[in-house]
Amino acid sequence: MSTTEECRAGTAYERVQAGPEFADLRRRLRRFVFPMSAAFLVWYLAYVLLASYASELMATKVLGNVNVGLVVGLLQFVSTFAITTAYVRFANRHIDPAAERIRHQIEGQVR
Amino acid sequence: MDTPSLIALVAIALVGVVSAVIGSLGVRVARSTSDFLVASRTVGTIPNAAAISGEYLSAAAFLGVAGLVLREGTDGLWYPIAFTAGYLALLLFVAAPLRRSGAYTVPDFAESRLGPGPLRAVCTAFVLLIGTLYLLPQLQGAGLSLTTLTGLPSWAGVLGAGVLVVLTVVAGGMRSITFVQAFQFWLKLTALLVPTVIALGFFFADDRALDRPTAPVFPAETTIDVRTPVRLEVAEPVELTAAGTVDGVPVAAPITWAPGVHEVAAGATLRFPAGEPVPVPAGSPSTDRAWLDPLSGPDGERLLEIYSILTAGILGTMGLPHVLVRFYTNTDGRAARRTTVVVLAMIGGTFVLSVLLGLVSRMFTPQLLVDGRTDGAVLLVPTAVLGAGWPGWLLGGLVAAGAAAAFLSTSSGLVVSLAGVLFTDVLRGRFRDFRFAAVLSAVLPIALALSVTRLDFSQTVPLVFAVAASTFCPMLVLGIWWRGLTSAGAIAGMCVGGVTSLVGVVYTLFLTDRGGVLGVLLTRPAVVTAPLAFLTMVLVSRRTRSRIPLDANRTLLRLHAPERLGLDHDRAEQQPSSGPQ
Repeated sequence: MSTTEECRAGTAYERVQAGPEFADLRRRLRRFVFPMSAAFLVWYLAYVLLASYASELMATKVLGNVNVGLVVGLLQFVSTFAITTAYVRFANRHIDPAAERIRHQIEGQVR
Repeated sequence: MDTPSLIALVAIALVGVVSAVIGSLGVRVARSTSDFLVASRTVGTIPNAAAISGEYLSAAAFLGVAGLVLREGTDGLWYPIAFTAGYLALLLFVAAPLRRSGAYTVPDFAESRLGPGPLRAVCTAFVLLIGTLYLLPQLQGAGLSLTTLTGLPSWAGVLGAGVLVVLTVVAGGMRSITFVQAFQFWLKLTALLVPTVIALGFFFADDRALDRPTAPVFPAETTIDVRTPVRLEVAEPVELTAAGTVDGVPVAAPITWAPGVHEVAAGATLRFPAGEPVPVPAGSPSTDRAWLDPLSGPDGERLLEIYSILTAGILGTMGLPHVLVRFYTNTDGRAARRTTVVVLAMIGGTFVLSVLLGLVSRMFTPQLLVDGRTDGAVLLVPTAVLGAGWPGWLLGGLVAAGAAAAFLSTSSGLVVSLAGVLFTDVLRGRFRDFRFAAVLSAVLPIALALSVTRLDFSQTVPLVFAVAASTFCPMLVLGIWWRGLTSAGAIAGMCVGGVTSLVGVVYTLFLTDRGGVLGVLLTRPAVVTAPLAFLTMVLVSRRTRSRIPLDANRTLLRLHAPERLGLDHDRAEQQPSSGPQ
């Protein structure tokens, strides 16, 4: 790639970065990632608090030797997996198509 | 040497040989991004995910989680939960942008994001430090496994394991390392699955209850040689025969311990008849009911400790040098995401098995509580469940092989990362041979592992995560998500976080714990040091605002624009198949 082309590419990027499509893409990503992280942190911290301040509840037997605390603890693994799956589906459905549109736009401007 | 020891040794040797054979099928040593990219075109999602999980699930995870659950019960769940959540945090905040940056080590990322300067050297120092600290429990775990399984001295295990790791690294190429680690993952999973299923079968067939208001009992007459001084707690009177110094008095006779704490000096021998209650380390839940219930009542120090473990696990994972590298073995971001889902299922599944095995080990191997070798639970459950005889020995051999695989995969990943940084940043071509760097990076950890007294995995591993959470985590997260980060801010933050968390490391490794809130903060520093590092980075960056890199906007655009945009020139050149055509 020659220097002039690089310059033109650079301005194309800047235009895209300033453009509404890219802003929309970033907003979508942030709107998903940050609330999701907050939700999963609250869920972990809630378990710790439940364990210390609602020990009666956590010690309730569910089945034989298994108490609520153990079930909720094991559910943490399941919920981690569920959040990951949700993120991947979200990225495949919303982020990738938006990126594709912006890419076409950039290529149109550079070439 | 008896038959079970011999079987265990043969099993461990077999893992080494098979790993070396798979490893030697490739020729090139992995040391550049393009090697990972080459590997990515020939490795499928499942083997790749298995390799990532294999590398992440260390000996500490394989042995430590079950041991922790044996001692702490439901409260022990925090560690595996934190390590699993750490992987999720890595995926959400760091993985994809770091992949797009084209940097394959943390120093590379720091330089490309914040410009050349002393920052790179600081990052290099922390990669070496964190890698060395993380190799320490791995090597000592190998020593513990060898002592538990065969009775050989633990230094033989540390040395043998060190040599084996260097050999596999020197022999391996990236493509073959991936397959070696995939093989090791499946071995680990099998070595946990089979004994867990068998032990659970016996547990339910016997109709035994875990939830008793009493302590666990010795299943048979048990003699315990106390090697390091211990403080033991009993909830009900215990009859035993002691020889040595107990509670400060030399004894050699049958005695009865009243409920409370008893001190046993090193060199003492304790013999417990079958059916006696098992003493537990002071501070751990002494009855089965207290053990099974999460946190009985509000306890400020315990709460602080748990939050700190969670902070270390969640934030520390993204700062481990050998974990980040792995994302390059995917062809694109989409493949990387698909791989991560499989990885999380694999890691979560393995941890759940470890937890279950730890729960039933309370029934079968409670004697480990007495001499503080709970980390050996996984290794001893097979013979405890199936008894002395070929079925038990063979199952023991399988578990030994799993432990060897767990140890080898993480350690070789760490040595590769350390050697890579040594080779490019420290030696700088003074030595032409990457193999020399590999040997060099293993020498210090081996020496440290031989000279420092072994602590439980539950103590050492969260400490390493704490150092990573207080140095690389803030640098990566702010570097990726905040335009205002400056080189000076990053250096200041990493130094503040690094030094404060290292105080904790030195305190835990070399001094005795005095307890109290300060003791908790020194042994579990992450809850203070990680926020402190973030804060320092932000404040110093604010004050040095004029030194924000000129290309910060453009770098951030490149990090956050999905790669289908085709903005990543460097990578597109290296890998024409996924670039814009």
